[in-house]
Amino acid sequence: MTTPVLEVADLSAGYTGAEVIRHISLTVGGGEVVTLFGPNGAGKTTTLRVISGVVRASRGRVLYAGRDLARTSPTARARAGIAHVPEGRGIFFGLTVAEHFRLGYRGARIDPRVVYEYFPALEPLKDRRAGLLSGGEQQMLAVGRALARRPQLLLLDELSLGLAPLLVERLLPVVRNYAEDSGCAVLLVEQHVQLATEIADRCYVLSHGDIVLHETGARLAGNPGLLIASYVGQQSAGPGQQGDGAGSGG
Amino acid sequence: MTALLQASGITVSFGSVQALAGVDLDVRAGQLVGLIGPNGAGKTTFIDAITGFVPARGRVMFDGRDISAAPPHVRSRLGLARTWQTIELFDDLTVHENLAVAATRPTVGSSLGELVLGRRQRAEQHADDAVALLELAEFAGRMPSELPQGKRKLVGVARALAGRSKLILLDEPASGLNTAESLDLGQRLRRVADEGVAMLLVDHDMGLVLNICDEVYVIDFGHLLAHGPPGDVRRNPAVLAAYLGGPADAAQQLDGETAASSAERAGEAQ
Amino acid sequence: MSEVIGFLLLGIGSGALISGVGMGVVLSYRGAGVINLAVGAFAMLSGYFFWAIRSGEFASIGTVPAVVLTLLFSALLGVAFELLVVRPQRSATPLAKLIAALGVLLALQAAVILAFGQSAQPQPTILPAGNVIIAGVPVAWYNFIIAGILLVIAVVFMALYRWTRFGLGTRAAAENQAHAMFMGLSPNRLSLANTVLMTVMMGIVGLLSASITEVDSQTLPLLIVPGLAAAMFGRFTSFSVTFVAGVLMGMAESLLLYFSTESWFPTNQGGPIPGYDELLIFIVLVVAMFLRAGKIPARGDVLERRLPAAPVPRAPVRSALIYGAIAAAALYFLPGGFRGALITSLISAILLLSLVITTGFLGQVSVVQLALGGVAGFAVSHFATNFGIGFPWAPIMGVLLAAVFGLLCGIPALRVRGVSLAVVTLAAAVAIENFGFGNTTWGGGVTGSYVPPPSLFGFNFGPNASLHGLDGIEPSPLFGWFVLIVLVLLGLFVCNLRRSGLGQDMLAVRANERAAAAAGINVQYTKLLGFTLSAAVAGVGGALLAYNYGSITADSYDTITALALIAFAYISGITTVPGAIWGGLIFIGSITAYALQDWFGIQGEWFTLIGGLLLILTLVQRPEGVATAMFYGPRPSLRALRLTRRGGGPPGGSQIADRVGEAKVAS
Repeated sequence: MTTPVLEVADLSAGYTGAEVIRHISLTVGGGEVVTLFGPNGAGKTTTLRVISGVVRASRGRVLYAGRDLARTSPTARARAGIAHVPEGRGIFFGLTVAEHFRLGYRGARIDPRVVYEYFPALEPLKDRRAGLLSGGEQQMLAVGRALARRPQLLLLDELSLGLAPLLVERLLPVVRNYAEDSGCAVLLVEQHVQLATEIADRCYVLSHGDIVLHETGARLAGNPGLLIASYVGQQSAGPGQQGDGAGSGG
Repeated sequence: MTALLQASGITVSFGSVQALAGVDLDVRAGQLVGLIGPNGAGKTTFIDAITGFVPARGRVMFDGRDISAAPPHVRSRLGLARTWQTIELFDDLTVHENLAVAATRPTVGSSLGELVLGRRQRAEQHADDAVALLELAEFAGRMPSELPQGKRKLVGVARALAGRSKLILLDEPASGLNTAESLDLGQRLRRVADEGVAMLLVDHDMGLVLNICDEVYVIDFGHLLAHGPPGDVRRNPAVLAAYLGGPADAAQQLDGETAASSAERAGEAQ
Repeated sequence: MSEVIGFLLLGIGSGALISGVGMGVVLSYRGAGVINLAVGAFAMLSGYFFWAIRSGEFASIGTVPAVVLTLLFSALLGVAFELLVVRPQRSATPLAKLIAALGVLLALQAAVILAFGQSAQPQPTILPAGNVIIAGVPVAWYNFIIAGILLVIAVVFMALYRWTRFGLGTRAAAENQAHAMFMGLSPNRLSLANTVLMTVMMGIVGLLSASITEVDSQTLPLLIVPGLAAAMFGRFTSFSVTFVAGVLMGMAESLLLYFSTESWFPTNQGGPIPGYDELLIFIVLVVAMFLRAGKIPARGDVLERRLPAAPVPRAPVRSALIYGAIAAAALYFLPGGFRGALITSLISAILLLSLVITTGFLGQVSVVQLALGGVAGFAVSHFATNFGIGFPWAPIMGVLLAAVFGLLCGIPALRVRGVSLAVVTLAAAVAIENFGFGNTTWGGGVTGSYVPPPSLFGFNFGPNASLHGLDGIEPSPLFGWFVLIVLVLLGLFVCNLRRSGLGQDMLAVRANERAAAAAGINVQYTKLLGFTLSAAVAGVGGALLAYNYGSITADSYDTITALALIAFAYISGITTVPGAIWGGLIFIGSITAYALQDWFGIQGEWFTLIGGLLLILTLVQRPEGVATAMFYGPRPSLRALRLTRRGGGPPGGSQIADRVGEAKVAS
């Protein structure tokens, strides 16, 4: 078995002493799209923040292409090929679209053509400030900016937040295609369950800081009851549907 | 019997984005009402609007009074308390002091007594009651930063209780808690409601909301989507569609429309 | 009328220097998130360096190599400042960063005084002499050259920020540090580059200033006040607006200078009223603040450290009795010089108590407290000399007057907080010192204003009272005991305040204004009350200081001392009564300072220098302050490192409703 691009092992982390995630383990391989589901406050965003390095793990390891990242700064992780599109876009409202693609460190290889290829709608908006774009355009810019760096690991946090479903339907397949085209590993946090299960190879469900379900995207898409059970709570779930630990995945 | 809180036509806009569009919501005394909806639906904005932290159109009647124009601290003194998703305790004060701040209003006379004579203010009974109700006694002398997340959430609720509140608006009290803590919180909230304090509970833990609330409102994209007893809401396909981003058929047949309008239609359809 | 044009042009040189300092402030804010009070001090240091290597103090080398060396020196200064001050403070609150910069300002000033003395040095000019006659007024060429050079610098910065990768990166990191890191940008390196740019530009300002002023420890550092006003017009963001505002202020000052020779201009003792230009700057700053401060973009920095904790006092009465008895005995038995220094320490402690209320409890930094003390001090003097009102009515009315001034100063705090408030109170302090205290009618003028010793029913208990200490020398221990009693009472008062409902409300406001309002606290009322109480305490300190001196001038309550007061308050512990008292014992002129001078011959300036350096160290190592740590420690070492999200962008766009609601009010 080849080394996964991302391997998270027994990870715990939190803020001001309170652990938000506990003993989480997951992997994402090259070209694979993996989704992390779970209600608000379950620890999804924290998981991504630990992987990109802005929150420190209190226990456990994050391995990137087999390398332990414990001593690597967020900046260095980004330069090593991890792109994190945080909740709330992760773009800069004061900069124009084009400026976002000139933004970079010395030696950064940023190719705006990739972006305009995947998101042609952005091209005529080049000189508009990001703060004046619509929500969907901002999200395209955020994803596009991440893709332009040709990352090996893409972390996407709640792309659909505040977007009309139609836009999400356009955005998520782009991510799927990109992963297939480039071999990039994608870890996606998403609330839009239907679309996310359709494009995901595998899914993890996080609840109150623990992973309670691990399924293939296909199986979850065909059986939404599994997920509803872990969202809505035991009462509405049929017997045996309650995910209680990692099932067998891909 | 008239409602304790009567919010009608609550509308909030941020620039061109309408965060809340004419939401009506009632809470009766001693009732535990849930408010749910997907991320970004406008739930926190609703709490902000009712408590006076964002400018809103519409009318807020509380305890027979129109408080639409009152500043936050005045609404609080009338018995309308809230908690915050990010907890927002006073980190520089002990747990007991956090509650005392809400429980007591220093007057000129009491302040003079305290400052010149070093006398302690005595009207802290409500703070002690809140501590007892939520079983926080062992933490009373500690600083909030020393407490685990679950207990900090409880302190937030206790502080809201301590202000002799008639209604508490709870913003995601269960987020960041583990399953056991969340269940425990639910039981305590139910007990507080049974003591006669009304509550509006905003949370993403649908299990928690549907299990403990008397009545549930669902909003999405700033619009009221559904409203009724938890059993009805639980079975409402439009709610599941909005909440889970549409695993059901609802989303497909409305291809090309915004979720807001689809949600509205679904809400009217039932 | 044509002379007006001539004088306007005369002002553009000094106006451009203001612009330079203002742009330095902008660079520091955009690049490193610091409201950098030390910007002018960097220009001063470069000016001294240039003078020292040209004039023979260190060396005497030619102009061109000296300029190059000076700019190199400025760059190194930037690197040192970044690594020793800015970077360790990366995760600190904007207020803590401002205080750290204050430490740098004090340390640099003290350092140049120690190295080169108090008097100004004739820094050689690098610009050609010569005038051009415009509208009948001879205007020196250097005005145009200085303005031209700084205009070029402003344009270069604008281009840099608009078009280069470095500039885009800086803008991005300022808007949101975490997002910038996600893109592989290094906020640390961007900050370093901006800081070095800032110090090099200040090096240029230091070199150019030689044509206008000799180099001394005051002029350039205090240019920070108009510089801040210019930067505030530019919202701490725009180089062009800052440049224009600075030049306009210089021109306005020059015009006022012209008007001051006119017969209609208000006079004082035969001359034009003093301090009118400081008053102008203050007014400009207040206008700038009301017009622009609300629009200053909050920076999206990743981590935030809070103000130090304010623990509940333990057994204050017992401590007061024990330490009070020791001090009372010391006031009698110590030799005269030590006794005088101890009295000064006790008065300083009272002034520091007022900072415990404003900053420690209310969380607002106010530089104006010492000036408020001065209001009471001069009131005591003038009530006595002009109206024959003595103790206790004069100090009581003085304290009330200080409280009224404090209330007025609190009004801006309703609108702005934290950093902006520190800036506006700094300008207020400078204006009160020069315009208020410099005036002979209601201040002290140059000669000073007499303060009769306090006496009650004919019984004198001033410093010159008949009861002398054990060694038979003045000052009288009677006065010391009087000060001590006042200090003990006020100390207990502040302890009570911390435990009272009002004090808890203040700390609640300090911790979180939104949550305080939600808990039923009237935030504005609480703030105003806090400012008024604090001003009253400062007034008591100022009145006692006046009695102690016997004759007071504007220098008795000067702004640099006010800044040092804040520094020492932080070092010792700005949140507790013991912090204030120990702060008094180590302050400038304190018994510790006296002992070190008496025993080891260490000059007072060393104290400011050490104070400035200690302040920076304290902020990094012991944010709660040394004395607080000693009295209430050990506190949990895991200080709350909180992740905060700040809404950076304009409203609208696609800000999601719930998130806008959550965006924390920057505190």
